[in-house]
This record gives sequence, structure tokens and C-alpha cells, in this order.
Amino acid sequence: MPSSSKLAGALRSYFGGWELFLLAILIVTIIANAAISPFFLTIGNQINLFQLSIEKIIVALIMTLIIINGEIDLSVASMMGLAAVTFGWGFQQGFPMPIVIALVFLVGLAGGAFNAFWITKVGIPSLVVTLAMLIGFRGLARVLVEDRGITDFPEWFDALGQQPILGPFPLSILIFFALLIILIVVLQFSGFGRKVYVIGNNKDVAAFSGINVGRVKAILFMAAGVISALAGLLYAARVGAVRGDVALGFELDIITMVLLGGVSIFGGSGSLFGALLSILIVLNLRNGMALANVTGHVQTGVIGMLLILSVLLPNIRAYFGNLYAGRKRLKQRDGKRA
Amino acid sequence: MDNTAVSPVLEMRGISKNFAMTAALTDLSIKLYPGEIHGLVGENGAGKSTLIKIMTGVYAASSGEILIDGEPVTISSTQVAQKLGVAAVYQEPMVFPDLDIAENIFISHHNLGPVMNWRALYKDARNIVEQLGVSLDVERAASGLTLAEQQTVEIARALSLKVRILIMDEPTASLSAHEVRQLIEIANTLRKQGTSILYISHRLEEIFEISDRVTVLRDGKHISTNAIGAVTRGKLIGDMVGRELDEFFGRVPSQATDHTLISVRNLSKADVFTDIHFDVRSGEILCFAGLIGARRTDVALALFGIAPADSGEIVFDGNPVRIGDPQQAMDLGISYVSEDRRKFGLAMAMPIFANISLATLRRYLNRFGLIDRQGENAAAEKYRKQLNIRTPSVEVDVGKLSGGNQQKVMLGKWLNANPRLLIVDEPTRGIDVGAKAEVHQIIRELAKSGVAVIVISSDLPEVLSIADRIVVMREGRQMGIIDGDIATQESVMSLATQFDDSKSAPQPQLV
Repeated sequence: MPSSSKLAGALRSYFGGWELFLLAILIVTIIANAAISPFFLTIGNQINLFQLSIEKIIVALIMTLIIINGEIDLSVASMMGLAAVTFGWGFQQGFPMPIVIALVFLVGLAGGAFNAFWITKVGIPSLVVTLAMLIGFRGLARVLVEDRGITDFPEWFDALGQQPILGPFPLSILIFFALLIILIVVLQFSGFGRKVYVIGNNKDVAAFSGINVGRVKAILFMAAGVISALAGLLYAARVGAVRGDVALGFELDIITMVLLGGVSIFGGSGSLFGALLSILIVLNLRNGMALANVTGHVQTGVIGMLLILSVLLPNIRAYFGNLYAGRKRLKQRDGKRA
Repeated sequence: MDNTAVSPVLEMRGISKNFAMTAALTDLSIKLYPGEIHGLVGENGAGKSTLIKIMTGVYAASSGEILIDGEPVTISSTQVAQKLGVAAVYQEPMVFPDLDIAENIFISHHNLGPVMNWRALYKDARNIVEQLGVSLDVERAASGLTLAEQQTVEIARALSLKVRILIMDEPTASLSAHEVRQLIEIANTLRKQGTSILYISHRLEEIFEISDRVTVLRDGKHISTNAIGAVTRGKLIGDMVGRELDEFFGRVPSQATDHTLISVRNLSKADVFTDIHFDVRSGEILCFAGLIGARRTDVALALFGIAPADSGEIVFDGNPVRIGDPQQAMDLGISYVSEDRRKFGLAMAMPIFANISLATLRRYLNRFGLIDRQGENAAAEKYRKQLNIRTPSVEVDVGKLSGGNQQKVMLGKWLNANPRLLIVDEPTRGIDVGAKAEVHQIIRELAKSGVAVIVISSDLPEVLSIADRIVVMREGRQMGIIDGDIATQESVMSLATQFDDSKSAPQPQLV
């Protein structure tokens, strides 16, 4: 008994209470899913579950850093669409594939730099800038291909999005885990990651400490542009066709995953571990509900409830915590008097 | 005026106010007579603001009673205060720029029925403005009004409430000499009409010019009330600062070397400070004294590159330098410990070690840009011992420490940068006496080790105890430099409150 509570304490101090809570939900979800369907735990289903949302969860990783930094990027899904369409357009023009792919990344970088310029140099809140670009990038994408769909990409390209390349894993899943590891190292162990947290905590304190706040933010938004472009490419490869509405509305799912992961919308706290847990919960819940023949709309409703809970629970806990602490202080004071 | 013949319009008896542990006001009594201007003076933190807030119903007194026309009253809110005829005009007027002046005057209470009667509104507004003896077009929009005109609108607003007791809290602090004259005229006009005015100002010349009686507060206590003819400037200053000698920490001989580390010449920033002029030598402690609004912090922010000056020269270690951002200042070896821990000093939700290494993060990065956590911990442990930071571990979030310990973490953060010039802004504000003595000791030891130290402090005994030399500022101007060995509270306060037409400021003298 004492040793188990010690273990819980150690876990809590390492991960924080919220991550533990998420871990518990995840385990419950997996057990329930496994009980509902014998297919759930098969490798094929697990890979499928990742692949269906792979573009969103890749972008959720960089979104985690941006929200910890105290900002938000609403333009990621539109950038995914613009990148996918840029790819289709370049392919249609008959440019060589390496050039087309380089062009897509360039578009991502330029879009991110454009966001960064308005946010860091002009000082407009990222919420406003990226909301404008949510519309702007999407508009560009639609102008580029009008109402057409572009398809018939080279076979090797489609295969890259669908076929396993290492063991049972397709490229996109490998990219997700590689990016996860890289970003965990950056966020938790590097000087840059420390700056991301400090700025999210209090950007004046950061500036007074000689940290170049604008530079850190600019790097994050440009990274978000490039990673969104990458996600757009992966989408094109997985689906094998692009249109102007690729990834429409994905930004909300992405932000939901990050917030559910315990990342504070006010910045300064949260971790990729929490974000990963929340990603796994959302994927497994959706998959489990699909296996149990729950419709998509109900699935979305359940995820929404979960988000509300995730915001409510810490507040409720804080409320009762304060109440308890207040009563304790009162008791101590009265005790002293008596 | 024979005060005994008239009964006071407002009387406060035995007012005390406690905040958590500290007493802001202790057993304070004051009387205001009809048609008098009553000056109220005291150092920063003497309790003037608390007193005003109790009068206007912002705070409730912890004990004591308030009488208006001899009747005990309870002023539970600003609305109640207004009904009783008490209103205040503050240093920063609140004016709505898009409304016209008449609307601003009657912002809360012109009773006109369901349809707006503009003619009546303007007529009433004109009456009030005339009563003040000023010419203002009440139909023009309030945008573009000068600060003095905005003050006038505020006063008119108070008058429209049928105010009998008007509190003017530092109304002239940001006004030019000419505008001050206008305001004094208005106050005189109101006095003739029977309004009682409680007039708060740091400028003793104004107090002498317009008040009938003057009350001095110090440390939340009533020190003296005198007819203005019965006091001298010296007596007022003495009453304001007259602390017990045992509160002083003993002076130690200057450790200053011959090496001038930084020379500042003619440093100016538009609308902020003008012609700042001083040297600091290695090992020297130079204090900046002055009242709130003296712009001392702005000079520090210019030296640290947060808000660079517009013109002037900075010579650091013999080389002319331009300091455009904090990183440049830090590269030169300048550290700035902010007065506001919460806003600018510490990341409260982050652990001690991360704060200690915050300004020197580069030093703890390996060639892959990864943080050397052991190095960070070692630095944090070093300052925990050296500065006696009381905490169970350096992993504790800074926000959970006491104010004094937070202050030490902030010092540790900047000492870790091995500064050659350390600027500390209000290093002991809001920390207890024990921690204060420790901070003084740390500052002295740093000076001894050859660091040039600039201390900005509003705490005069502190300044007199640690300063080798004292720069006194008032409203963005350098009023003089006094040698710490001969400075007295009176000599510093005298410079800090000296009134002058801003055109004929005295040339700063170098000691």
C-alpha cells in the first residue's frame, strides 16, 4: 500500500495529475473497445485508426508548441488545403515531381512567415492574423483549382500514402512518431523549448531576460506552415486526389486534441505527452464507436463533451481545493484564538 | 478664519484600516471645515490614498467613525459618498473622448426623462463651467482636450453632483506650470463658494500657496495639522520623513574604485526624461531617489535597452555604446532587476532553477542546443545557499515562495549573469525587515567585489544607508546629485519636491 501510493506520487510529480487522468481514460477506452470488438486490437485496425486522422495529429504536435507559447494558429487546415492543391496544380502543369514537392514546402514556409510577420513585427494578435489566413489560404486554394478535383497522381506517390514502407507502417505514421520524438526533445530538453514555455508564461519576463520573443514565435509559425504543408502532401498521397476543400475545418479537431491534452489555452503549461494521450483517446474513442456502429455525428458529440469536461474538471478541482484550503486556514486561525 | 466658531463639514475620528497583516492607517483623525483648502502631505505609502479611498467609499474603515455635518455616516460605496456630497478628482482624469463636454460632465446622472433635452443639458453644463470661472465650449467633443482641461471636466463633473467636499489627489502632477495656475484659480473660486477641498500634492510650494491648513501623515499615522502660516517648509519635510534613527541600518565606507564604468551624458527621451547626467564607478553604489512619477525606472529601462533613449551619450568602460535591446545590455554586462517581480521579473509558474538560469540560458546549452540540467541545478543550489533562499528544493515553482524569497531568486537570476553594472529597482519593496537587511548586505558585498550598482529606491532611509551618492529626480528631471555621507532626508526630499517652471530647471550638478 505505501509503495503503491509512493509510485502514484512519483508518477504524478513527473506527469502531472491531468496526464494521469488521461492515461486512465485511455486505458478504459482501450479495454472497452477490445471487449466490444475482437478486431480492435489487431495491428491492421490500430494502423488504420492512426491513418484515418494522420494529417490532423501531425499538425496537432506543432500546434501544442504554439499554444504553450501563448498563441494560436487557426490557418493550419487551410494551409493543408493550399499545399495539397499546390501539389495538384504543379503536377497538372507537368513540373517534375521533386520541384513540385519543393514548391509545396516553400508555400508552407512562406505562409508561416507571412503569419509570423503580422504577429511579431506588426503586433496583431495571432488569433486575428491566422483567422484571416484561414480564409486567405483557403481562398487561394480554391482559386488555384476552381471546382475541379485533381487526381491520377503517379502510382509511387499514392503508394507512399497508403502502402507500408517499414514493417506494417506507412510513411505518414513513421513521420508522426519521428516528429513526436523530435518535438519532445525540443520542447522538454532544449533551450528553445525552455524559451517556448517562458514566453507562454509571461512574455514580458522573457523579453526582460534578453530572450528574443519575436524570433521564437516566428520560428514556431514558420514550422507550423511547413508541417501543415507536409500534412497536406500526405493527405494528397493517402486520398489520391485533391480539391479546394481538402482538410476543411480540421483546425478545430486539431485544437481540440491539444486542449484536451491539458495544454492551457492561456499558454505556459502543458506537454506533448498530454497531447499524445489525448490524441490516442480521440482516435480510440472514434474507432471504438465506429466499430460499435455509432454514427459520426454522435462521435463528434462525445468528443465535444470530453472537451467540455477537460476544461471543467480542473476548475472544479481548483474550486474544491480552494474551499478546502480556506476552511483549513479558518480552522487554524480559530484554533490559535482558542 | 476662526475654526472653532464653525463646525466641521466632515470629521473623521480614530480611523484605522488594516490589510491582512499590515496597518495602512492607525487611529487617524482629521477635520474639514466649510470653505477651506486643506493640504495633505506625506511620503509614498504614508496612507494618503487609503484615507481618500475610505472617504469616497472604496474601502471601509476597520474602525473609527466618519461624521458629516456632525452626523455619523456610513460610506459604503462611491455612490453613497456622492449622495453625501463627497467626490474625488484624480491625477489621471477619466474623460470619454467621443462624447461632448456637457455629456462628459453629466455622464452618470442628468435626469432628462425619456427624450434627451439637449438644450437643458447644455445650459446646465454651461452654468457649472461658468461657476468654475473658465471658458470651455461645452458642446465640443472631449477629444483633444489638454490634460488640464480634462481635469476641469472632472471637477465640473464633481460639482454637478452638488459636491461639498472635493478631494483633489495630485491634480497637478502632470500639468505644466501655466496649467497649474489655472487649476489653483479654480480651487480658489470653489473655496469662495464654500466648498471644502482636501488637496493632496507632493509639491510643497502649491500646498503653501493655496491651503489654509495642512496635515502631515507618516506611516499611516497623523503627525501634525497646522495653519499654513504656522509652519515652514523645513518643518513639513521634517514631519514627513522624521523616522526614528534606529530604523537606519548603519552606513559603511564607500568601496568605489577609480574606474568609471559607465558615463551617462545628456540622456533624454521625449516626454519621459531630460538631460540625465551621471557616472558610476566600479564598486560604487549610486542611488536614484525621488517620488513616484520621477521617471527613475524609465532611465533604468533606457540603460537596459528595453525602452532606449532618444538622444544622449552612454560611455561604457571607455567605449561609446548604443544599447538597443536587453541582449546588448547583457552582452556589456548590465543586469536589471525589475521592481515588478510578477510582471517583468520572474516566470511565476516555473521552478526556481529555470528562473535562475533564465537570463543566462545560453551558458547551459550544449552544442546541440540541449539544456544541461545538472549545471542549472548547481547554479540554483549555489544561489540558494549564497542568498539564503528558503525553499524545500530548487524544483519548487517560484510563485509558491514568499515575497522576500522571490526577490532573492530574482537577484540570483541576475547575479548569475556576472554583471559589471547591476541596476536594482525597488529591491526591498514589500518584503519584511529581515529580508531587507539581507538584500542590503548582498548589494554591499557586490559593490565590494567591484560591481557598479545602481539602486532605485523610494525608501529614503534605505537610500541614505546604502548610497555612496544619490541622484535625485523629479518628473523626468535630474534635480541634483548629493554625496551619501552628507545627505539627509531633508536635503533629498527638498530636491525631490522642489517646484520649478519646467523651462528654468536647475542645471544638474556633478559631485
